[in-house]
Amino acid sequence: MSIDTQLPDETVHVASAISDEVVIELASVNKWYGEFHVLKDINLAVNKGERIVICGPSGSGKSTMIRCINRLEEHQAGDIIVNGTEMGTNIKNIDAIRRDVGMVFQQFNLFPHLSVLENCTLAPIWVKNMPKAEAEKIAMEYLERVKIPEQAGKYPGQLSGGQQQRVAIARSLCMSPTIMLFDEPTSALDPEMISEVLDVMVGLAETGMTMLVVTHEMGFAKRVADRVIFMDQGEIVEQNTPDEFFTNPKSDRTKLFLSQILAH
Amino acid sequence: MTDATQSDTAFRPKPSLPPPANTVGVVGWMRKNLFGGPVDTVLTLLGVYLLYVILDFVVDYGIVNAIWTADSYRECLDINKGEGACWAGIGVWFNSMMYGRYPDEEQWRINFGGIVLLLWLIPFWLPKVSGKIQVGISAVLTFPFLAASLFIGGDIGIFLHAMTAIALTLFVSVWLNVATCYLMGKSLPAVLISVTGFADKDDRLHKYVLLGAFGVGFVLALLYHLSWDLVEVPTTIWGGLFLTLVISGIGISSALPSGILLALGRRSKMPVIRVFCTAFIELFRSVPLITILFMAVTMMPLFLPVEFNPPKLAMVIVAVCIFAAAYMAETVRGGLQAVNKGQYEAAQAMGLNFWKMMALIVMPQALKLMIPNIVGSFMGLMKDTTLVSIIGLYDILLMGKAAGQNPTWLGFHTEPLLFTATIFFVLCFAMSKYSQHLERTIGGGYGRR
Amino acid sequence: MAVVDKAGPRKGGRSFTEIVNDERYRSVFYQVIVAVAVIWAANYLITNTAENLQARGMSAGFEFLTSTAGFSIAWSIIDYEPGDTYFDVYLVGIANTLIISFFAIIATTLLGFVVGVMRLSKNFIICNLASGYVEVMRNVPLLLHILFWFTLSAALPRPKNSLGLGDMFFLNNRGLYVPAPIPGEGFGVVVIMVLIGIAAAFGVTVWATRRQMATGQRFPAFWVGVGLVVGLPLLAFAALGAPLTFDYPSLKGFNFTGGADVPRAFCALLFALVLYHTVYMAEAVRAGILSVSHGQTEASYSLGLKPSWTLRLVVIPQAMRAVVPPMISNWMNVVKNSSLAVAIGYPDLVAVFMQTSLNQSGHAIEIVGMVMLFYMTVSLTISAALNYYNKLVQIKER
Repeated sequence: MSIDTQLPDETVHVASAISDEVVIELASVNKWYGEFHVLKDINLAVNKGERIVICGPSGSGKSTMIRCINRLEEHQAGDIIVNGTEMGTNIKNIDAIRRDVGMVFQQFNLFPHLSVLENCTLAPIWVKNMPKAEAEKIAMEYLERVKIPEQAGKYPGQLSGGQQQRVAIARSLCMSPTIMLFDEPTSALDPEMISEVLDVMVGLAETGMTMLVVTHEMGFAKRVADRVIFMDQGEIVEQNTPDEFFTNPKSDRTKLFLSQILAH
Repeated sequence: MTDATQSDTAFRPKPSLPPPANTVGVVGWMRKNLFGGPVDTVLTLLGVYLLYVILDFVVDYGIVNAIWTADSYRECLDINKGEGACWAGIGVWFNSMMYGRYPDEEQWRINFGGIVLLLWLIPFWLPKVSGKIQVGISAVLTFPFLAASLFIGGDIGIFLHAMTAIALTLFVSVWLNVATCYLMGKSLPAVLISVTGFADKDDRLHKYVLLGAFGVGFVLALLYHLSWDLVEVPTTIWGGLFLTLVISGIGISSALPSGILLALGRRSKMPVIRVFCTAFIELFRSVPLITILFMAVTMMPLFLPVEFNPPKLAMVIVAVCIFAAAYMAETVRGGLQAVNKGQYEAAQAMGLNFWKMMALIVMPQALKLMIPNIVGSFMGLMKDTTLVSIIGLYDILLMGKAAGQNPTWLGFHTEPLLFTATIFFVLCFAMSKYSQHLERTIGGGYGRR
Repeated sequence: MAVVDKAGPRKGGRSFTEIVNDERYRSVFYQVIVAVAVIWAANYLITNTAENLQARGMSAGFEFLTSTAGFSIAWSIIDYEPGDTYFDVYLVGIANTLIISFFAIIATTLLGFVVGVMRLSKNFIICNLASGYVEVMRNVPLLLHILFWFTLSAALPRPKNSLGLGDMFFLNNRGLYVPAPIPGEGFGVVVIMVLIGIAAAFGVTVWATRRQMATGQRFPAFWVGVGLVVGLPLLAFAALGAPLTFDYPSLKGFNFTGGADVPRAFCALLFALVLYHTVYMAEAVRAGILSVSHGQTEASYSLGLKPSWTLRLVVIPQAMRAVVPPMISNWMNVVKNSSLAVAIGYPDLVAVFMQTSLNQSGHAIEIVGMVMLFYMTVSLTISAALNYYNKLVQIKER
């Protein structure tokens, strides 16, 4: 993978904006798919403004972990606390957390029957009960920020993959979340479209947003991440600052992974 | 072409030559499609012969030897010795096969109801009209009441009055909407809001404007409807194609909402609900319709309180609704499965709750995918509705049979069957072609990809 | 698996709103509501039924099954006399339903393959003849087909002028008369030979495949198999001196005696069922063949497999995945639709049990229940088989 050519190492690291406040806390989280133990005793605390990149081989549980944070997946044991709200079976809590946490998917998951603008205004109108005009105003602001205001009237099917993913980011931002989850946001994109999405994400990082990003874009990790987490077989194997992680990995498993992913 | 100034290395395309004569045109087509080889040639000749035999018989029976005017079946037989059709009888029995024993002077009510329904559905095909889903839902949910009060007549009770008034109001607003869409380029709600001066007010007040307008319309419609004075026509004398369409129409329009609920129930995470819905669907899908009909007419009188004695038509309609709901549930389930899992996840991640997710994200996509199948189900249900003749409802089939038992028309059996078959063929063929067309156009929907 | 449930609130003492908003409690609540509604509805129906039965002076229960039915059945594949019980009537109905379904399914499947392939033919005439057939049959209700053929069959000649085929088969307005086979001594051996032939053919196929896999040598297993299945019984048949005679129908007075008779209703119903359901079979075959993408054929050709091998090894295995499920549900529909027999008086389960027996005994609930039970059993058996098949052929994917 020639990721490094897109976001060169010499680019200055985005200024860190971490505060002391813990916004996401995972304490001994366990999850099974049937008999398969997919998350093994995960402990993780994310501070406000912190940007975390999570990497690892496929099937290592990294997507499952961030999907547990907004309960797209149910965890069977352990505690997840987001913005001081306990994630459990309480519907009000789930709703509150989902309102605060935005998510961007690998396959974009834009709603094909709604226009770009309608995609962005849907949740503000129906979840936050925002008047339509106001929702549209906010949506246009965010569409401008992801640099595609001119596509507002089009349907997702008429956009390129990169454009769709930027709309998906704008759609999440319209709910003014305090935390953003990215589940392999560039994996389904053609190479020439990856950078336009990563640019938007870097811009977002500059605003001080708390971000959890599952990605294999190591250039992005070096430039943006405050912490890189490496997962394998449902466990957090290693976590460190990007500098340490890339130059001085501790575990053999991490070394092997890095050598495979950075070999080409 | 031969530009002298061009250098010799420049690319000069060769001129296109016509293909060999025996691969194009009529000859080429015939060589390719009819006489590709010895086997093909034999098959073609056999096919042509078969076609000739069939057409020859059809023309002889249906046109050359057919009798177009006669007063009895005997008369027909005397003339053509049974070697041709007796279409004269169809003319005599046409009215019965269409309307059953519905009184002649009241049949305008049926035609009127049919025209209203057609008009109600026309906006579907008008490209500029907005809110097509609302048009469809309003027709499915309220037209049956309008039809009931129109077809039954007599003293219909306050509930039916109110529902009919709602139906009338919605019908008028559908066409007002068409008018505003075409004349002013805006939908009816938008026009109402701007006319009343609420356009720049808070969005949340808009719905009160619309409710108010609907209320005014409702009162007017109710007053108008109360002035109707229709003779009661009991359902026992309904019949013919009219009855077939009433039963299948009610079946399909009730099947959609109940099928959606059953399908959601079957996919639910709650075991009690899932088991109940699955059992219901599987039970009624695994038995033939005729057993459900027999069940309805023999068991339903037992199930209801002793003093209750529902008309046979009502019991049959309940049976057809159950049957159609079970089948529609599977159609809907297919549609729900066809919606990408990511759509559910994105909707949940945004914080939409279950019903909002279904109503705003999943159902619009699933329904659109399902339209061809729904048309197919309607076609199937219409065909299946002929079974009501077995338990003695005078639908078009039994009405045709009754014709052959009439003393003057004794033995007049084949022609009513052929006539009925033709009607079904025309209706179903048109519908299936239309649903295939929808399948092609909807499949690629949503823009480029 | 022992899972410590810590996902819920940790500390005791939940407030009311916490309970109301908990999705587990909500789900239990909804389920209880549904369960109560179902139970209430069932109770309501049962109470009403009890009152109705009392008002009519009837009692529920299955005792009537052992009492004499007392009516005759026009035709039955198993022995039946009017003195037999209602339960015998039930069995007769099931047998009659199954026998017509059996013949209809076999004919439908064979004809469906032919029509399905015809529709894919490049020959303009053949393709359009098949399409015309499909459209005409599919867009007319089955009941109409049945009544049509039944009405037409009434116009067949009387027994005296029967349409005959070589003094063996006779067709008239009462039905079809065919020679009845009478197995002689030792016929059982022939039957056993058929079974042995099938087993041997299977064995040869397995052996040939193994050998080919091991050594690469081919063996004409198919033709040897055919030889075994056909040859062994024929050999036994000849060796035992042809232990099978036929009882031929013959005209005595106004009607035929001897042979086996098949009533007109059976013929009309079979004809209509086959013509109608062939369409669905043909559509399944067509869709199945079309579902195998052209790229598969091209890939196979480019590997050097000749067309017949391509068909056998690449196209048919993939097409069958798409053909078998709709084919089996079509079979199911044949069984269900054979119940339309009641419209023309063929004594199937619905006609003899749900109509005649119910009218006579009045035990609506029991009889409807028993009839539905039969169809459900057939349906569940078939769908279980289908699920097993689907599991067997499922393409492994991530």
